[in-house]
Amino acid sequence: MVRLKSRYLLCEVNVSDRSQLLLLDDRAIMVAVKAAVARTHGDYGAAMCSIRFCVKYLNAHTGIVFLRFPKRCYKLLWSALPFITSIETRGQKIPCFLNCLHVGGTIRTCQKFLIRYNTQQLHRMLPKCKSEEEKQQVRKAILSCSLTESKEAFEEDSESEGEEEEEE
Amino acid sequence: MKEVEEKEEASVYQRVVLKNASPYHYLKVRLVLEDDSTRLSAVELKYFIITGLKSLYGEVGAALNFDVLKYDEDTLTAFLRVYSSLVKLWSSLTLLGSYQNQACAFRVLQVSRLNPLPKNM
Repeated sequence: MVRLKSRYLLCEVNVSDRSQLLLLDDRAIMVAVKAAVARTHGDYGAAMCSIRFCVKYLNAHTGIVFLRFPKRCYKLLWSALPFITSIETRGQKIPCFLNCLHVGGTIRTCQKFLIRYNTQQLHRMLPKCKSEEEKQQVRKAILSCSLTESKEAFEEDSESEGEEEEEE
Repeated sequence: MKEVEEKEEASVYQRVVLKNASPYHYLKVRLVLEDDSTRLSAVELKYFIITGLKSLYGEVGAALNFDVLKYDEDTLTAFLRVYSSLVKLWSSLTLLGSYQNQACAFRVLQVSRLNPLPKNM
């Protein structure tokens, strides 16, 4: 009856150097988002960020991250995300920017969107494939996308997508 | 039509609620400092209020458009005007606690939606 509602922001972390993407971890992203919110919205923003904010999922291979915000102030905190210019992990500063792809009310809807988005990306990459083997791999990945085997679908999508992008 | 809400130190307090008033809010404030002989110029006062907004509301708050319409340096009394977010300005004035290591306080004397100054100012 009474439910704590949150908004989940599906963001993509864009870095210029793909090998640096693997160094990311969720603590670092959390610190970067909190710092940006504190800079942009002051004490008021930092307080709103401290209630139910966390990084729910991070995929270092594709750079997809789920951020959870409370429903009543997610727009204000969302407006601070474009001000993130770099993420600091393990002593290195990685210049990057966050691109928000989808806002959902639950993790499940975000997952469904992510699977559709990954299939669209794979469809776009299919004409660019150079060898028959790559085409077979991409086709297999597209056909196996489904929500029931959700964890495997995630890993398959991300690995094959990662492979395609590295080979190109 | 009566124009102003008045708050006085004594227990007389008057509150008038208006609809269809102008979009600006006018505030009459006085800065009270620990050391009574310090003087601020108008520019210093505006910068001081902006630092208060910045600490509470960040960069976005520091960009809030407000004007110091009239400033009396001897009594440190000023008329401020904001476009629509009175809450942000008033709350940051409340939480401003120290000016150059002196304790300080902003006393809000009068709040209105219509211009309390005479027309020629």
